[in-house]
Amino acid sequence: MSLSPIPVLDEGALQRLRDLDPAGKNQLLERVLRAFENSVVRLGAQLVDAREKNDMQSVRHAVHTLKSSSASIGALRLSRLCAEIEAAVRQEALAGLPGLLDDVDRELAVVLQAVQPMRSAG
Amino acid sequence: MTPRNQPFSEDLPERPKVLLVDDDEVNLLLTSVALEDQGFSVTTATGGEQAIATLVDFLPDIVVLDAVMPGLDGFQTCRELRVLPGFESLPVLMLTGLDDDASITRAYEAGATDFFVKSTQWSLLSGRLRYLLRASRTRVELERSKSRLARAQDLARMGSFDWKKGQGGPVFSIEGLRVFGVGPDHPLNFRKLLRMVPEEERNAFIELTHNAMERSTVLATDIHARLADGRQRIVHLEAEPEFNEHGNLIGYTGIVQDVTDRRLAEDRIRHLANFDTLTGLPNRRQLIWRAERALEHGRRLNHQVALLLIDLDRFKVINDTLGHGAGDELLVEVARRLRSCVRHSDQVLESSLETVGVRSHRTLEAVGRLGGDEFVALLPEVADERDAERVAERILEAMRLPIIIGMQECFVTASVGIAIFPRDGANVADLLRNSDVAMYSVKSAGRNSSAVYRQSLSGQGREKLELESALHKAIERDELVLYYQPKIDVRGARMVGAEALMRWRRQGVLVPPGDFIPLAEETGLITPLSEWAIREAARQARIWQDNFGFADSIAVNLPSRMFERTDLVEYIHTAVTTYGVPHHAIELEITETGLMKDLQNVIPALHRLNEIGVEISIDDFGTGYSSLAYLTTLPISELKIDRSFVRDLGMTPQSSAVVTAIIALARSLGLRVIAEGVENLRQMEVLHRLGCGIMQGFLFSKPQPPEDIEDWLEQTVLPRKAPWIGRAGSADVTEPPRVTRARPLRIKPVA
Repeated sequence: MSLSPIPVLDEGALQRLRDLDPAGKNQLLERVLRAFENSVVRLGAQLVDAREKNDMQSVRHAVHTLKSSSASIGALRLSRLCAEIEAAVRQEALAGLPGLLDDVDRELAVVLQAVQPMRSAG
Repeated sequence: MTPRNQPFSEDLPERPKVLLVDDDEVNLLLTSVALEDQGFSVTTATGGEQAIATLVDFLPDIVVLDAVMPGLDGFQTCRELRVLPGFESLPVLMLTGLDDDASITRAYEAGATDFFVKSTQWSLLSGRLRYLLRASRTRVELERSKSRLARAQDLARMGSFDWKKGQGGPVFSIEGLRVFGVGPDHPLNFRKLLRMVPEEERNAFIELTHNAMERSTVLATDIHARLADGRQRIVHLEAEPEFNEHGNLIGYTGIVQDVTDRRLAEDRIRHLANFDTLTGLPNRRQLIWRAERALEHGRRLNHQVALLLIDLDRFKVINDTLGHGAGDELLVEVARRLRSCVRHSDQVLESSLETVGVRSHRTLEAVGRLGGDEFVALLPEVADERDAERVAERILEAMRLPIIIGMQECFVTASVGIAIFPRDGANVADLLRNSDVAMYSVKSAGRNSSAVYRQSLSGQGREKLELESALHKAIERDELVLYYQPKIDVRGARMVGAEALMRWRRQGVLVPPGDFIPLAEETGLITPLSEWAIREAARQARIWQDNFGFADSIAVNLPSRMFERTDLVEYIHTAVTTYGVPHHAIELEITETGLMKDLQNVIPALHRLNEIGVEISIDDFGTGYSSLAYLTTLPISELKIDRSFVRDLGMTPQSSAVVTAIIALARSLGLRVIAEGVENLRQMEVLHRLGCGIMQGFLFSKPQPPEDIEDWLEQTVLPRKAPWIGRAGSADVTEPPRVTRARPLRIKPVA
């Protein structure tokens, strides 16, 4: 899987988040990003654990949740990777799974890196 | 984005409470912020377990569940939630993935109200929630109104049904099933329904429904149904046809209602309207109805009908001596015996007989009670008058055995008058009248027999009948009047009282008392007549008191039976109080014969009357056989020498001997003595000489209307113009033993 030249975080999605709190009074963006980081920490650990135990259901749950979380903050590439893994597990097409999971690991790091400055800025 | 706190339509809560369940914290946060922004109040849970725990003490208006969650997922959560009390119909929205058809199906199976594809367009979610809330509100209201309807139908023991053409039979609502005593799990088809209907009614019911459907007319009928538990109910069924847009009948929709209680009440009312409450026999109304139907049949089928009027002999005597309670008991027993004399049918007959068949007039046969002690037997078909006479004989025979009333044997006989249709009358009224004439002929021939009407009977009997009927109405028509004859103290030449005498002004003609008082006594009308006389005399006493200071008594004649009435004293008291005159304004006259006949029964009343100041005068004294021993103890005040002795005064020595004896007796007992029927001066003088100073008679004044009495006082007595005035006082005769009108002259009541 090669990374396309699109940005790590989709600007449109971010704008929608800002629209929910136009004046920034609720520091919504910061809260959402923090929630995302917490999720990633939790789900990342879950993924590692599930891979070791070869627990496909647990993998599926983790990527399912991660899929929608990342979509929410505009991490579309990450979301799409999660959707592929979810579909693969569901269809029991397990051959490409390790590669996909590695891709997720990588993309997760990228997204977190992109999120961090925005959070402290927010 | 839409503005914050967008107001919801009026039918939704101000801020609907949402329970939002998602393990994706990012989505949870974003969705809740978006919904809060849209006017919802959001509570969040990050998993199914937490959601269920939250619901223990939190009732949201709507629940949004993420379908896929670790642990208790959305489907399981929905299932668990649905079994919690109060959450059966709470709207639940399931969030699913875009391409997840399986989840959608599972969502519905789990009891979700709807599903929603997760998206980052949160405002779409709020729109869907609002829609769901409104739908749910509508549904709740519908449920509520449905249950209200069910409750109302339940109270009315009513239910509904639909009968779609081609579907075999009616489909009942739960309430409809309940009417037939069937639970909701045992649908009632037409065959089962028919099985509840009594066999003999089944075909008629099938035919009725069949006809209604064929003609697309309204179906309305009552059916008898025996429920599974054995109860017999009457169910009213009413249905209207339903048509499709082409005007073709597609079925019926209607109601069933348990009308058993109502029908029973209606039956009871019908029974009360048609049957005599005392004896249970058909009453006058029902009898006349039956008789009219019987005549119709007779006319059409050309046969004779007989009407037997049965009147008990001397029932009044029984009623008066044993009391009304005993009289009623006797009537009940008589009714029972009379029933057995005919093929009596108790059926309430009101509607047309046409449907019942040609011989149905037989069911009209009955004995009914016209009122009082009068009964009628209706024989709807007789071959000849012998048929009717045979029934009459049976009736007389049935009376032969004594009737035991309160340990006492009563022998009752009856007089039966027979009239035959069409010979003796073309309508019920004529037949009744002529049977009455025939009955009267039996009475006058000595009672306890029967007679068929003959034209020759009609003259005398009818006259009497008409007289009786007219006398009944005399009081209410104000046809009765009292005439007054003064009682005169001849020495003082003044009026010391008056005797009230009843007259009947019938259609402008004055009926002499001899023509109606015996009839009144015979029929019992004497009681209301006497009561009226007491009231009227009290009223007159008041008028005279006002007009010329009248302070004496008006004597009213009462038959002895009136003295047996326990309320006589009360009645007099009420009468005098009403007109504001003292009790002694009324004096009562009872004949010597009447008094002696009923002495034991009359004495208590005499004492009570005396106690309140009402004096008693013994009328026609000397004609009866008074026990002198009794006379000494009776609380009486006056003896009236019978007119026969007065008439013969100076003509036969015996009469003056009797008069002398009576006067002596009165003196020794301390009673007033008065002579009536004094017509000439000679009689007056003799009486006066013998010691009787108070008199009454044509010599002084005939009985007159009260106004004429006033004129007479003014024009004759006060100016002392009459020939009798002065004679007694001035005549140089032996000073009479004065019997003064020393009022109050009262005998002390016997303790």
